[in-house]
Amino acid sequence: MQYMLLITEDENIYKGDDGGKLMEETVGKHMALIADMEKAGVYGGGNRLQPGATATTIKYKAGEDTLHDGPYAETHEELGGYYIVEANDLDTAIEWARKIPVPGNGGIEVRPVWQE
Amino acid sequence: MAAASVQIADAIAEARPRVIAALAAQLRDLDMAEDAFAEAAETYISKGVAADRPAAWLFITAKRKALDAMRKQAAQERAVSDAAQVSEMSNVIQLPEAIPDERLRLIFICCHPAIALEARTALALKVICGVPVSEIARVFVCNEPAMFQRITRAKTKIYKAGIAFELPPRTAWAERLDAVLLTLELAYTVAYQDAADERDGELAGEVSRLANMLAELLPKEPEVLGLAALIALARSREAARVDEAGAMVPLSQQDCSLWDGALIEHARLLLDQAHAFSRTGPYQVMAAIQLCHARRRTDGTTDWAAILKFYDALMVMRPGAVVALNRAVALSQAESPAAGLAALEELPKEKLQSLRSYHVARADMMIRLGRDEEAKVSLNAALKLDPRSAERRYLEQRLARIE
Repeated sequence: MQYMLLITEDENIYKGDDGGKLMEETVGKHMALIADMEKAGVYGGGNRLQPGATATTIKYKAGEDTLHDGPYAETHEELGGYYIVEANDLDTAIEWARKIPVPGNGGIEVRPVWQE
Repeated sequence: MAAASVQIADAIAEARPRVIAALAAQLRDLDMAEDAFAEAAETYISKGVAADRPAAWLFITAKRKALDAMRKQAAQERAVSDAAQVSEMSNVIQLPEAIPDERLRLIFICCHPAIALEARTALALKVICGVPVSEIARVFVCNEPAMFQRITRAKTKIYKAGIAFELPPRTAWAERLDAVLLTLELAYTVAYQDAADERDGELAGEVSRLANMLAELLPKEPEVLGLAALIALARSREAARVDEAGAMVPLSQQDCSLWDGALIEHARLLLDQAHAFSRTGPYQVMAAIQLCHARRRTDGTTDWAAILKFYDALMVMRPGAVVALNRAVALSQAESPAAGLAALEELPKEKLQSLRSYHVARADMMIRLGRDEEAKVSLNAALKLDPRSAERRYLEQRLARIE
């Protein structure tokens, strides 16, 4: 099965004096994780996203659509990136998800990809 | 005739966990396993089969029925993969009585931490024990369609999210086992409260069957043994919990000759077995507390100092408002009602205000201190929190006694 691992995290943690260093460390961990996934033959792709402030959302209400500046949900944590992994079952996917670095508050949503 | 049909129903209930688990593990489909089992059980009842091994008979019959259903489906869909699976299964069916013990696998699936706690409980009771949805809904104070939906959603999650029909690797057991134990604890708490009110311990009996089964399957997990002991001790008092008038009888006033000595002994043995591993945990401590209470049956006394120590330990392992409340009650017995009340008053009120047990404990201490007016206030506060009928009667009796 394929699973999408959606990373939601607090962007502010990468701001401020130590933010740059933390970002560098986190990116390093992501790179190492991708290498592990590739070695295990489970890596199905993934991307890091630009900050939530760069998002534009089209919202639909009663048949009308309007453009909004910002992400869909206004929360302290933002969708920051995703992975696609190949796994036999949920537990294996969760195991990979737990290896994703999330230095601040946030979470990883593990979702099976729709397959016919 | 009636006795015979009860016997048949018992045989089916007894066989169910093992048979359902073996079917689910092989078919990898809970619904199909349940349907096939139900059909086999129906045949068993209607034909009055006198099988000397009902589990083996039910397993083989259910599997044949599942196989037929799959064949029909395979023919309809001309699904090659299904057909392959079917032919593989037909080999197994030739074997005389191959019922592999897959009960643990099934428990781990139904109690997977990725399923919501209440749904796990409902799913385990429905699938493993065969408790009707209407019954589960009644006990969880929820309407039947909503409960049905909750169970269906949990099953869908198992399939769609890819929860494996495999035993998790040993390294993942700690987290998974915690989820299983929490599921059983919640199921029992709810069933036990219900049993007091309805004087019908059927569901409580099913949950304790599950706990004993888990203890049998995992005899080297001390917390599993602890939970089974805890549930056995709670069950041992079932006959003494409600009086003739249908009023709840608190533990301290129960007629301990009504307690079930065999269940207490069973629990004691489980705890001894658990303690041999020297890995204590909250369930073992909670069971040890209940075992202290059970001793009243043999020597007429309660060692409150020991109980207080156990609550101190529990406050470290599993701190919470209810544990703190029970600790204060133990203190009021081990030392004095004044000491207990002082400890009680120190606790944060917000959480406790909504607990009937808090107001009842406070009332007890007030009565022992001769402060009847404050006791009345507490009892009335408990009555306002919507107790079930047995507890309501008890609270009203106490209030009447003061006045």
